[in-house]
Amino acid sequence: MTFVRVCSENEVPPGEALRTESAAGPVALFNVDGEFFAIEDTCSHGQWSLADGYLTGDKIECTLHMAKFCVRTGKACTLPATKPVKIFPVERRGEDVLVDFDGGRYAA
Amino acid sequence: MMTVIIRRNEKRSPNVDLSDVFDEQAGTISPVIYSDPDIYQMELERIFSRSWLFIAHETHIPKAGDYFSTYMAEDPVIAVRQKDGGVRVFLNQCRHRGMKICRTDSGNAKAFTCTYHGWAYDIGGNLVQVPLEEQSFPGLDKSKWGARQARVESYKGLIFATWNEEAPALAEYLGDFRYYLDTVLDASEGGTEAIGGIVKWIIPCNWKFAAEQFCSDMYHGTMSHTSPITAAITEEFPALDPTALSGFQFRASNGGHGTGFFEAPAGTSWGFRIVQAAGLVEGFDPEAAHSRQAAHLGDKRGTIFSQHLSIFPNFSVFNGASTARVWHPRGPNEIEVWAFGLVDKAASDAEKEQVRLMTLRTFSAAGTWEQDDGENWVEVQRVLRGHEARQTKFNIQMGAGATRNEGADFPGTISNAYAEEAARGLYAQWFKLMSDEEGTSSKRGAYVHAAE
Repeated sequence: MTFVRVCSENEVPPGEALRTESAAGPVALFNVDGEFFAIEDTCSHGQWSLADGYLTGDKIECTLHMAKFCVRTGKACTLPATKPVKIFPVERRGEDVLVDFDGGRYAA
Repeated sequence: MMTVIIRRNEKRSPNVDLSDVFDEQAGTISPVIYSDPDIYQMELERIFSRSWLFIAHETHIPKAGDYFSTYMAEDPVIAVRQKDGGVRVFLNQCRHRGMKICRTDSGNAKAFTCTYHGWAYDIGGNLVQVPLEEQSFPGLDKSKWGARQARVESYKGLIFATWNEEAPALAEYLGDFRYYLDTVLDASEGGTEAIGGIVKWIIPCNWKFAAEQFCSDMYHGTMSHTSPITAAITEEFPALDPTALSGFQFRASNGGHGTGFFEAPAGTSWGFRIVQAAGLVEGFDPEAAHSRQAAHLGDKRGTIFSQHLSIFPNFSVFNGASTARVWHPRGPNEIEVWAFGLVDKAASDAEKEQVRLMTLRTFSAAGTWEQDDGENWVEVQRVLRGHEARQTKFNIQMGAGATRNEGADFPGTISNAYAEEAARGLYAQWFKLMSDEEGTSSKRGAYVHAAE
């Protein structure tokens, strides 16, 4: 388990997202009212960046075909997406936000 | 097995005899050009697909991803601000089965996705995603199936586009008309900005009635607009005597653009705008506004007021009321008017409010002056339902032979304000393009202008 610093918390205000590259592929980090979540960035339906989408509460809507995913669980909430995306462990150290890119998994 | 091939020439063959519809020497025009459906279809090809067409003001789409849905004649297009600051204009039509890829008026977008089958385009109009691509379109070269791109250029805040790859640069297309266009677009440091929304309405009339009037017609004012002029007269702002006003009309040496204006008697340049807005907005200093514009223009143009103008074919401004608009053609018998307010960026909030109120009351869907114009155009169009009426030529001789060059400090082909020289210029350009099957007259090198 290796946590890597991605950003400082004030770089991603509530409701915003950050896209970052990793060995596990692109990962999207979201700030949901001060709580941070990391998921696979690529939409499981349309191969598009979810960090580019619209975040409402803990649901991210893809801008291409309006598929929604829960950023807590990675689960697909609406059609046309049917497959989940992976979630990654997130840790806070002081003001820093870290992600364990080796720990990507599908939620149970 | 027999193969049937149906060919449909992309260019409409002229099945209409145009030889007699406009005669500049005789000063006659045949009204079939306002009513004939075949002539209208030819216009879409020979006028609108060859000319530079107004799209939007730069301030309508300031940020990356900002878009504005509009039309180039009957073709729906989207204008989008790119991340590099440039603007792209592309056909609002999915390359798969032709659905609109953007169905809203304006906003900020990260992508445009067709709501029919889901083909998705980025803000540059490139096809970026096709649903079920591996199963449905294996091997599809998406780079070949982006939205149709138009050529785009700007002039002092106004964005134009054309489908004509061989059209001259926009500045060359505007030519010597720029000197008079700058009275509107470059009258203060920083140029102009658009205010208010886009006001849209439909008028059942041919697009050329509107374009021609703004190009050339000061003449109708004292007759058609008597009622809103009378209603607004006050002791402080009495009616101006039209016979005592000095005014001029300019015909662009090429391209069909035209304008007309009065020279303001001392102290009256803002009077019209104030009285038509039903009063002076608190904090607005008309003298300061006049001085700012006169100093920036730096020549005789500082005296211009009540200026009307048209850029060929279908974009017009009446600067007397700070209104800019496109006349989108909708068949020979109908237009959609898309209008917005145009103010100097350097203007104070009070000045902008003065302009907004004035434009709203005079030249907008419910504006008093607007009703007068629409009523005329609609009635003329209704008369043209008559067979005999369509065969009866109109007189377009006003001021013929009375033009001069470099008149009264105003350069170019100049007439009295009450003339039809600019209208003859508009119809000459129309006739030239319509009679030209190959479109040579719309290409680079065909726009020769008088020395500037």
